Amino acid sequence: MRWVAIAGILTLAVFLLVGCSREKSEPTAKLQVVTTLFPLYDFSRIIGGDRAQVSMLLPPGMEPHSFEPKPNDIIRISKAGLFIYTSPYMEPWAATIIKGIDNQILRVVDAGQGIRYLITAPDSEEHDHGGHGRAMDPHVWLDFANAGLIVDSILSGFVVADPPGAVLYRNNANALKTRLADLDRRYREALATCATRVFLHGGHYTFGYLARRYGLEYHSLSGVSSESEPSAARMAAMVRQIRSSGVRHLFAEELLSPRLTETLASETGVSVLKLHGAHNLGREDFQRRVDFISLMDQNLINLKKGLACRQR
Amino acid sequence: MNLIEILSYGFIQRALLAGTLIAVLCSVLGVFLVLRRLSLIGDGLAHVTFGSTAIALAFKFYSAASLLVSLPVVLLASLGILKLTEKARLSGDAAIGIVSAFGISTGIMLASVGGGYNVDLLSYLFGNILSISREEVLIAVALFCVVMILLSLFFNDLLAITFNEELARVSGVRTGLINAVLVMLTALSVVLAMKLVGIMLISSLLILPAVSALQLARSFKACIALAALQGCCSVIAGIFVSFLTNLPTSATIVMINLLFFGGACLARRLRTPKNSN
Repeated sequence: MRWVAIAGILTLAVFLLVGCSREKSEPTAKLQVVTTLFPLYDFSRIIGGDRAQVSMLLPPGMEPHSFEPKPNDIIRISKAGLFIYTSPYMEPWAATIIKGIDNQILRVVDAGQGIRYLITAPDSEEHDHGGHGRAMDPHVWLDFANAGLIVDSILSGFVVADPPGAVLYRNNANALKTRLADLDRRYREALATCATRVFLHGGHYTFGYLARRYGLEYHSLSGVSSESEPSAARMAAMVRQIRSSGVRHLFAEELLSPRLTETLASETGVSVLKLHGAHNLGREDFQRRVDFISLMDQNLINLKKGLACRQR
Repeated sequence: MNLIEILSYGFIQRALLAGTLIAVLCSVLGVFLVLRRLSLIGDGLAHVTFGSTAIALAFKFYSAASLLVSLPVVLLASLGILKLTEKARLSGDAAIGIVSAFGISTGIMLASVGGGYNVDLLSYLFGNILSISREEVLIAVALFCVVMILLSLFFNDLLAITFNEELARVSGVRTGLINAVLVMLTALSVVLAMKLVGIMLISSLLILPAVSALQLARSFKACIALAALQGCCSVIAGIFVSFLTNLPTSATIVMINLLFFGGACLARRLRTPKNSN
């Protein structure tokens, strides 16, 4: 009986495997672009328009740290004209993959170039604890000026890889940058009116760039590394901070388990609001073709609620 | 920071309560498992839980509902480990290795071919001792009662097969049934407890209190009592030390268990020459 069950599971797995690997054959005239993270994927598909076939390596829902490429991914990269990633901090595997690819026409774009990476400050209240350490914060796209720089880097990659499309790519990129600038303005206006500047996040350090750009005081429960765990003392310090700052809402990150955030929230009687880090999407959002700017607008709604900003 | 203040936090109270129950449970089970050379069964079954959670998500069962898939699959896997040791004449570590590899590769395969998930699977799989909810305290209490009652019902038989399975069988113990009870209780504990306190803590609590107690105890019952005591003390001490030193709680508890083990080894070395004279 057991073996029947196991055999059944195996058969199911094989069927799924076969079913999914049969990919539609795409016309190869388009520029093939492979990206690592969601913001790069979204910006690239906007810039490329109809001239490019853009794909994202990271399967929906997965943390960038736990990614492992499949043979198909390697084949896709070896046939691509453009490979776009952000940094060795977010996708340490990207450089390893690229080293093993034998592809003469492939251009590699480091979309994080020219961006000044922030060092996350260890949390500075009461006992300055070593649990955090200093680390490079890789979530650069959450500062929308950086998002503009990423668009520039991606654009120059497109122009070099496919010069005949340069005009189209430039126009698309400019339109995108205008929309990002509008987004930045919406954030600046909305967040200027908030009752509290204290932005408390019951998870890993993610929103530092966003907070710095709009002058918010950001504290997270744990550091940048997804492996780090909070100590009992850090949990208690966060509870005291929530109580003393008088905030009504605690933020948690989409896609990740909100367990620790909910523990803090029930301890202090505040409610939990979700924010999207946008490095990846859930599968349903991905299928609905949600884009970066709409995610950020959704974040703004929750931020305004959580920081008690004046609604207009 | 005084004691009263530390205890005033609800999450600390729940961590102490559920943590000590789970620690005693794992330590007692661990004595049987270590003696049966199944020490790594906790890690192995955790990998199977990862695989089975992937199956559950593929069928769109989330969080609590995923247990409906995980629990039977992990129970079957634990019996599979048992069958491999009996029928294929494999040692426990090899059998655990096979089942564990099967579990984790199933999970990774489904994660890749299923087109991703709506959430990050790994972050939902493991709990943290600091984030136990009120309902989960009840789960821990119920689990503790079920496992302890069954263990005490089957205690004499378990004792018999642990020390000499052949002899036990000849003297009429239904060894197949007793073995199955032991591994299924382990499976139940691993699946439920890892959602509460995470896998690192479970697998170390299944091994370390048992091996420390085996260094010192002079009878089987004393061994179980010592193991339970160490498991319990390590969780309480770990939570307070984590509070005072600002170190991650689960890792602190594991380190304290290692200290206990070192101490037990030392104590035995000091005692042995005296006994032989």
